[in-house]
Amino acid sequence: MEVAFRKIDIDAFDEDVIQESELYEADPRDPAQVFEEAKARQASVRSLLSKNDIVGALVTALDNAPYGPNVEEAKTISLQTLLGILNSTKSTDISNVVQSLTMDSQDTLMKYLYKGMAMADSNASVLLSWHEKLTEVAGTGCIVRTMTDRRTV
Amino acid sequence: MPQVYSISQNPITAHAFNADRSQVAVSLNSNDAQILGPSGSEWTTIETLAEHDKVITSIDWAPNSNQIVTASQDRNAYVWQQTPDPETGKIIWKPTLVLLRINRAATHVRWSPKEDKFAVASGARAIAICSFDPENNWWVSKLLKKPIRSTVLSIEWHPNNVLLAAGSADMKARVFSAYIKEIDERPAATVWGSKLPFNTICGEYASAAGGWVHGVAFSPSGDVLAFASHDSSISIAYPGGPVHHIRMPTLPLVTLTWTTEDTIIAAGHDCQPIVFSGSDAGWQEVGTLDDGSGSGAKAGPGPVGRLKTGAFATFQNADSRGQGSNVSNDTKLTTVHQNTITSVRPYGGAAGQVTQVSTTGVDGKLVIWDTASVSALTGRMGAMSMS
Repeated sequence: MEVAFRKIDIDAFDEDVIQESELYEADPRDPAQVFEEAKARQASVRSLLSKNDIVGALVTALDNAPYGPNVEEAKTISLQTLLGILNSTKSTDISNVVQSLTMDSQDTLMKYLYKGMAMADSNASVLLSWHEKLTEVAGTGCIVRTMTDRRTV
Repeated sequence: MPQVYSISQNPITAHAFNADRSQVAVSLNSNDAQILGPSGSEWTTIETLAEHDKVITSIDWAPNSNQIVTASQDRNAYVWQQTPDPETGKIIWKPTLVLLRINRAATHVRWSPKEDKFAVASGARAIAICSFDPENNWWVSKLLKKPIRSTVLSIEWHPNNVLLAAGSADMKARVFSAYIKEIDERPAATVWGSKLPFNTICGEYASAAGGWVHGVAFSPSGDVLAFASHDSSISIAYPGGPVHHIRMPTLPLVTLTWTTEDTIIAAGHDCQPIVFSGSDAGWQEVGTLDDGSGSGAKAGPGPVGRLKTGAFATFQNADSRGQGSNVSNDTKLTTVHQNTITSVRPYGGAAGQVTQVSTTGVDGKLVIWDTASVSALTGRMGAMSMS
C-alpha cells in the first residue's frame, strides 16, 4: 500500500494553520531574565537543601518554572535543580512533602517527573516512587493536566 | 434511585427528549437517529430517521415547535418535522436539508430558546447560525468564524435568544453574538454587553491548564458561563468578575448543565454525575448523584477516574504479590454508567429549578437522576482546591 503521502506535512499547505504560540499565553519574561531566575533558584535550592528543608527547596524550584520556546538553558537548569531535590529526599518523606504542595506546584512537579522519565539517563526508580506518591495525592487529574498543558517545562 | 434504561450495546452519541418526555431521540453511533418510546420498562424504537450518510454527532428536539434537528459528520444538518405522508396520510418525520456551508464535520447542534434559530458547531473552525427564510422556504446559515482557531466541540444558547456560548479545541470558551437582524428583536443589555451585532465577542476564557473545552453552559439567568475542559477542570466565569477554576483529581468532565442559579451538574470520563455549588465568591464540588449502590457491582473498587480500580488493582496485585489468577474478574464499575457519560441534559422541573437530569454515555445506557439526591464522594483521591 502506498503510505508515503502520510509523511507529507499537510499543515504546510494550510494558510490558516494553528500555531503553537496560539495555544497558550507566552511567558511575559525575557529569556535572559528567565535564565537568571533559574540560576538564582538553583542557588537558593542548594542552600535550602543544605539546611535539609526539602519542602522549601521544592516550592522554590517549582515556583515560576520556565516554559515555552527560547528558554532551553533555563529549562535544563531547572530540571537538574529539581532532580537534585528528588534524589536527595528519603523515600519515606515523599508522601508528606507532596501533600504540603499547592495544586499548582503538584501539577508542575508532575510535568518534571514526566520530563525526567523521558531523559535517557534518568534515575527511573526515584522518579517512579515520586510519581506513585504524587498520583495518590493529586489523582489521575494531575496526570491528565500534564498531558494537556502546552506550557511544557 | 435513578431510573436506568439499557438502550443499546453501542455508545449513545446524543439524546434529546420531546417536550412531555414521552419520546426520546437517540443516535447509537450510526448514520441514523432513532425515536424511542416507552414500552413496559424498556424504550423501543418507534421510528428511524435515516437521511445522513455519516455518523450523527448531535440531536436536539425543540419542545414547542416539535421539530428535531440532527447534525452529522457528513457536514449536513436536517430539520425533521411531523407531516402527513402524501400517499398514506400517516404522520411521518419529514427531513429538510440545511445548507450549512461548512467543509468539516458538524459536531454539535442546539435550538435557540425561541426555536426560530439553531446553531451548528463544526470542525471547520466555524459555527453555523441557521434561521428560516419563509420567502424561499428554506433554512439559511450565517457563519461565526472569528476568532475560532480550531474545532468547536459544544455550543449553548443564552436565554435571550441572541448570545451563544461555544467551547473549542483551541483551549477557549467564548461567548458570541448570534444576532440575526431579520428575525431577532434588539436584545436588552445584559452583563455580556449592550451593542451586539453578529459575531461580537462578548467573552473569551481559557481553561485552567490548557485543556480543550468539551462542554459549555449558561446559568439559568444567562449571567454566568461554566465550561468543562480536558485538563480535568471546570471553570465558572463571571463577566467582568472572577473566573473560578476547580481542578479535579479525577479524569476529565465533558458535559455539564446548570440545575439552579448556584448548582451545576457535570459528568464525563469519571462515569458519574458530579454536583458543584457556589456563587461569585467561590465554587466547590459538593457530591455525586451516583451513590455507588445502583449498579449491583460489589463494593470495593471505585469508579475509573479514581485510583486502584478494576484493571489497575488487578495489575497492582499481580505486581506486588505475584497474584494474577485469583484476582476477581469483576470488571464492573460501582457507578451506574459503565463508561464515559457524554451528555447530561435537564429532564424534569423548570429552567432554574431543574429537579431531574438525563444522562447518556458510551455504555449505551440512558439514566434519569433526581438532582436532590446528592451523596458525598467516597474513595476519592486528593483534595479539591480553588484558584
